[in-house]
Amino acid sequence: MNLLIKSATVTDPASSFNNKVADILIKDGIIQEIAADIDGEDIEIFDAEGYHVSPGLFDLNCNIGELGLETKEDLETGTAAAAAGGFTGIALMPNTQPPVHSKAEVEYLLNRAKNNLVDIYPLGTISHKREGKDMAEMYDMYKSGAKAFTDGNRPVQDAGLMERAMLYVQNFGARVISYPEDISIAGKAKMNEGVVSTMLGMKGIPALAEELMIARDLYLAEDTGAAIHFTTISTAHAIELIREAKRKGVNVTCDVALHNLVLTDEALMDFDSHYKVKPPLRTQKDVDALIAGVKDGTIDAIVTQHTPHEVEFKAVEFEVAEYGMIGLQTALPVALSAGLSPEMIIEKMSVNPRRILTADTAAIEHGANANLIVFDARSEWEYNKQNNRSKSYNSPFLGQNLKGKVLLSINNNKIAKF
Amino acid sequence: MAGLSTRHLLGIKDLNRNDIEKIFETADNFKTVLNRPIKKVPSLRDVTIANIFFENSTRTRLSFELAEKRLSADVVNFAASSSSVSKGETLIDTVNNILAMKVDMVVMRHPYAGAGIFLSKHVNAQIVNAGDGAHEHPTQALLDAFSIRERYGDVAGKKVVIVGDILHSRVALSNILCLKQLGAEVMVCGPTTLIPKYIGSLGVKVEHDLRKALNWCDVANMLRIQLERQDIKYFPSLREYTMMFGLNKQILDSLDKEITVMHPGPINRGVEITSDVADSKQSIILDQVENGVAIRMAVLYLLAGQAV
Repeated sequence: MNLLIKSATVTDPASSFNNKVADILIKDGIIQEIAADIDGEDIEIFDAEGYHVSPGLFDLNCNIGELGLETKEDLETGTAAAAAGGFTGIALMPNTQPPVHSKAEVEYLLNRAKNNLVDIYPLGTISHKREGKDMAEMYDMYKSGAKAFTDGNRPVQDAGLMERAMLYVQNFGARVISYPEDISIAGKAKMNEGVVSTMLGMKGIPALAEELMIARDLYLAEDTGAAIHFTTISTAHAIELIREAKRKGVNVTCDVALHNLVLTDEALMDFDSHYKVKPPLRTQKDVDALIAGVKDGTIDAIVTQHTPHEVEFKAVEFEVAEYGMIGLQTALPVALSAGLSPEMIIEKMSVNPRRILTADTAAIEHGANANLIVFDARSEWEYNKQNNRSKSYNSPFLGQNLKGKVLLSINNNKIAKF
Repeated sequence: MAGLSTRHLLGIKDLNRNDIEKIFETADNFKTVLNRPIKKVPSLRDVTIANIFFENSTRTRLSFELAEKRLSADVVNFAASSSSVSKGETLIDTVNNILAMKVDMVVMRHPYAGAGIFLSKHVNAQIVNAGDGAHEHPTQALLDAFSIRERYGDVAGKKVVIVGDILHSRVALSNILCLKQLGAEVMVCGPTTLIPKYIGSLGVKVEHDLRKALNWCDVANMLRIQLERQDIKYFPSLREYTMMFGLNKQILDSLDKEITVMHPGPINRGVEITSDVADSKQSIILDQVENGVAIRMAVLYLLAGQAV
């Protein structure tokens, strides 16, 4: 794959060319040259004046239906949606059937995704069968390519198991990812506990359910010396807990889901199940604190928590609808709408998540693999059923005009244009 | 016939004060009709109403059915357990199947909050909510307020305490919204585990001492304790609940004033209320039942008037 990108603004906080306007020559999938003015002969030229060129986005929390849930999404449609959203790497949550709990599933997924523009990183489970009882064969999975371990949306309730997992992964330097929720506090509630849940006559998931689990896992991380990553934190107090732990030197990182940065529980006033997610949409106070946490560095990464569901699982009563929304393809415009700068977005959605997962780096530098995207932060486009690449449609942004568009995704010597 | 400001009655949230006054005035007229030898009017002739109940109910369904028949509507009843959801047919399909048989209005009770609102966006019929989860039960709130109005002449300025399991109660939420709309002061009283943390945001007082609550109020609305609604235990035993929140004659007689006692029924005698209180002069429980038919006639009549 050969291409000359002309007059692009480099947006890569890790690159020496950051904020410079340059031409980028790609030959055989390698960045051969970055310079002010490169002559292109016998090579395809992409005029990127006014556009950003950045390392490809990376999603730490993403659900693709494989294995077992392919009617929701498979690797073809999932990676197509990812590429269209500017993602050249995605970490897959093990919320599958069967769960990714042995090397067989890890290797199956890696084989299925060979020769894809988008790199996939299967996350393995902490517990065997994701039952929250005994440890899964994490070392075997690690050797096959699983870089971090989590029980996904079925958080480990047993503190002893979590402690042992944190100790065990240190044998091979892996990381544990915690989705923090104390189920005994959350109960059967389906939305945030607050003024809105009171108006709707719904039981609420208190912020406490999340914060109690964060407090537990921070204690365990401090005690065991393990590296812990919290995924999809959502409350104001959760950020304070993590900020304090970081100050104390606990090896902790965390991420937030994009929709928790732009939506509040007010969106549920009509019981629209498109907004039913977990952790639930919280209040404006939480959103403000999350944005502040992203900006001050307490929150290291932003994830899509892409969760596809067929219409049959959403066009039902709110109570029984499935949790989650898709988000890969709309990630960039949604992040921009949260008021984040392109540079901040690249830091939180490319540089940091790759570092947290020890994934292959992507950099706009001489001699690097061309793992990059070109995007226009200003142009508007309508996200609709025709241009949606995911197999599912469960996005509250469908039918809306979004500002910010990915134009090119390049990785693994492949290119996709949008 | 001037109707309401809403096409459906999904909750008290849909109604403004004018709507409520209009429903009360219409119910006054229907109550007169109900006390005549010939209790039937032809208002809803040729209107077909389906009562769709996904949750057990005897009195609400009976009250709606009588209201519909007194208005000369054609009535069909459909009862299904909510487990039919897990058997494969969706709510939308179930209701569309019934509507395909040319039904004009749907009265629905459903175990899940927001089921009526969800349905109103997906099917083409007028919907009356007969209770959705712990969300709303608008006709119950209307008949409760109507009964207070009947007793005192006006709801405005009256102090009403709602006692019991507020967390799982659709009656409580609709009552709060309706009474506040009409200018009453509202307090909730019950075990701390069964009072939603943010209930104060609705502009109500919270009290955990029954005697204090009763001394404050003009009207006490004693909610039925429904253990089947509780997925886990929120208090150790009914016995202990009754010790703290049961209303008996001794407490009633010890108050500084004569309050009015209400209950949405069915009563658990000896749990939230003792028999001698339920049957006392201060109780208007059976008036509530009678008013229920008149209120439901008024709601159906006013909604049908704006069907097109």
